[in-house]
Formats: sequence, structure tokens, C-alpha cells
Amino acid sequence: MRIAIDTLGADLGSERIAQGAIQALSRSEKMEIVLIGDESILSPLVTEKNRARVSIVHTTEKIETTDKPVMAIRRKKEASMVKGYQLLKEGTCDALVCCGNTGALLAGGLFLSGRIKGIERPALTPVIPTKKGPKIMLDAGANVDCKAKFLLQFAQMGKIYSERVFGTKQAKVGLLNIGVEPGKGSQLYNEAYDLLKEKLDGFTGNIEARDVLDGDYDVLVADGFAGNILLKSVEGAASTLFSMLKQALTSSPVTKLAAAVLRKPLRGIRDQFDYHEVGGAPLLGIQHAVIKAHGSSDETAIMNAALFAEKFVQSGVIEGIQALNTEEE
Amino acid sequence: MTFEKVQEIIASNLDIEPERIQATSRFKEDLDMDSIELMEVVMACEEEFGVEFPIENADGILTVEDAVSLIDQLTK
Repeated sequence: MRIAIDTLGADLGSERIAQGAIQALSRSEKMEIVLIGDESILSPLVTEKNRARVSIVHTTEKIETTDKPVMAIRRKKEASMVKGYQLLKEGTCDALVCCGNTGALLAGGLFLSGRIKGIERPALTPVIPTKKGPKIMLDAGANVDCKAKFLLQFAQMGKIYSERVFGTKQAKVGLLNIGVEPGKGSQLYNEAYDLLKEKLDGFTGNIEARDVLDGDYDVLVADGFAGNILLKSVEGAASTLFSMLKQALTSSPVTKLAAAVLRKPLRGIRDQFDYHEVGGAPLLGIQHAVIKAHGSSDETAIMNAALFAEKFVQSGVIEGIQALNTEEE
Repeated sequence: MTFEKVQEIIASNLDIEPERIQATSRFKEDLDMDSIELMEVVMACEEEFGVEFPIENADGILTVEDAVSLIDQLTK
């Protein structure tokens, strides 16, 4: 199992990303790592101990956050992300992990990897922490303008992902909406509701944003615009709440004492919202395994992203999505 | 020759019979292609012919003839 790691484009720099990827080797017997980036930085990290399982593809070109995504993947042929997609297409690697420009990664998914036959749009699929454990949500921002058919396909892909990677039995799918009753929401969401009800086993109906963190679903479906707003609202609210909690708990000797008692359970809750532990978000609906890691990923986050990429490939999600089209024919 | 190759690329991408694609076919109105499908064809043509279309997006190419003419210009 060869996992390509794009070491450029991350906030913390190439070396730390590479170190995280190398750490993953100690947790997986069969993994090999292909580090894409500046050889002069990466070579010193290859030791006698890991030499057999680590290789380097040299480049110093990267896609910047300010680059226009489609033009960047078309013109920057030596960019680390583009090289990663080339490795996937050649069959040299089984998965690509990337922290960089999300728009370019999505464009690469569409135009370098290619959509699975029958899939209208690929979807970015992160995990949402809930009271009942991690649940998945799609689309988190790849497709701002959607048709009802796209949402049905998001639901179908999400179900396969939930069942094969998270081990869910007969995943339940909810549709993010502004009310729980049928008939709520925009025309798109009304059409999507009817389509999901007609064609998807396990569709449980609409879910309001305030109930999302209760976790009474396995897969939450939304268009990319609403999905992205939801995701960032949850991240922002969690971050603000923990910051306020910390401030309150350190405000006096008495509260500090309370904080010491509560430290472990509070840390457990905080860890549920910590992206470092999650791994990354796959781009579902394309021909290859591509995992988007957070731009500010550190060693732990990348280690988990590489391990997640391995699990994703082994689970057969892509094959399951490919079979969707065959079933419909 | 260029037209036949472009026709093949479009047919493969859209999963339709090549005969449905004429030189005068309009990508959006006749072939019902959206911007993503059009860009997929543009990139497939760039790879096939070894050219770079000098456009930021594919909206400037309205018909199959437009694409063929542009490729012929770029490969001269």
C-alpha cells in the first residue's frame, strides 16, 4: 500500500508533514510512503530504518492559496499536487494525502483523476463530531450550486462510505434543512427530499442544524454551500466555547481547582472536535483515493491522515461507488 | 483528422455515439454539456494534442468547430 504525501502547501512546512507521514509507518506494517516535495529537505529524513519504505518525488513547485484552481492544475505541471495526481493515474500510488489549496485539489479530482462513471459531482466528505460519535457530512463545499440528483448521489456515496469505513450497519441518511417537516426548504431541497424518499433506503428525513450535533443519523447530506457553512459554524462554535470555558476555568483559584478535577473529561470532549485525530476528508466520486487534510496539520494530523488513507483504500469505497452506476444500468 | 479525434474525445466523455456530434454542434445547447463537462473535454484535448488552450475557462469555446479550429491553430 503506497500512500503519496504532498508535503508542500501545508502551513507548518514540508519537513513536519514528512515526519508525520514517516510516523505512520510504525503503525502500519504494509504501508509505504512517497513524499512529494523538495528533495533537499526530505532526503535527511530517510534513514536506514525507513529507507525500504520511503521514497521521494522531487519538486519545489506548489499551488499557492492565491492560485486559481483550474488554471493552476492545468499550467503548473510540476506542482506537488499535480505530481500526486500523476502518481495515482500511473498506478504508482494507491492514495494521495494533501493539505494544500482545496479548490485545486477538487479541480484535480475532476480533471486529473476524473469522475467515476455516472457520478455527476464529487463531494468533499468530512467527519462531524456528535454526541453519538463521529458522523459524516457531504458535501462540505465542493459544489456550491447543486441539483437534486447531486444530493441523491451524495447520499448514496455517503452511505457506502459510512458502511465500509465506519462499519455502520444500514446507514441512516438525513437531509440538512430549515425544518423537519416534509415540504420545508427551497425548491432544491424539496426535490431532493422527494428523490431521497423514493430512491434511498435508510433515508430518515430532514434534520435541522440545531440537531446536527445530536447525531441521530450516520450520513448528513447538504449542498456544498449549506454544508460548508454548517461545518465552519460547528468548528467556530466549538473553538469559541472551549476558549471561553478555559478563560472561565482559569479565572480564580477556585475555578482552577475545579479545572484540575475536570481536566480529563473536558480534554476528552475537546479531542472529539480536534481535527488532528480525525485523519482527513476524502473526495468521494472520483476514480482515486484522495484525502484532504487540514492546511495547518501537524505531524499527528498527517500520521492519522496517512493511516486513514490506507483504511479508505482497503475498505473498497471506490469500488462500491463504481458499482452504483452498474446497479442503475 | 482533428475533428474525428475531438469527436471521439467528446463521445467518450459524454458516453454517446460519435455520430451525434457534428462540427456545428453547440456544446451547451446541442450536446447539453455543463461547464465541468466542457472543461473535461478541453483538458482531454490538451493532453491528446499536446497543446495549451489560451483560455482561463472553457466558456469561450461554443461549438465543436471552435475547438477544432483552435487546436489546428495551436498545432501549426
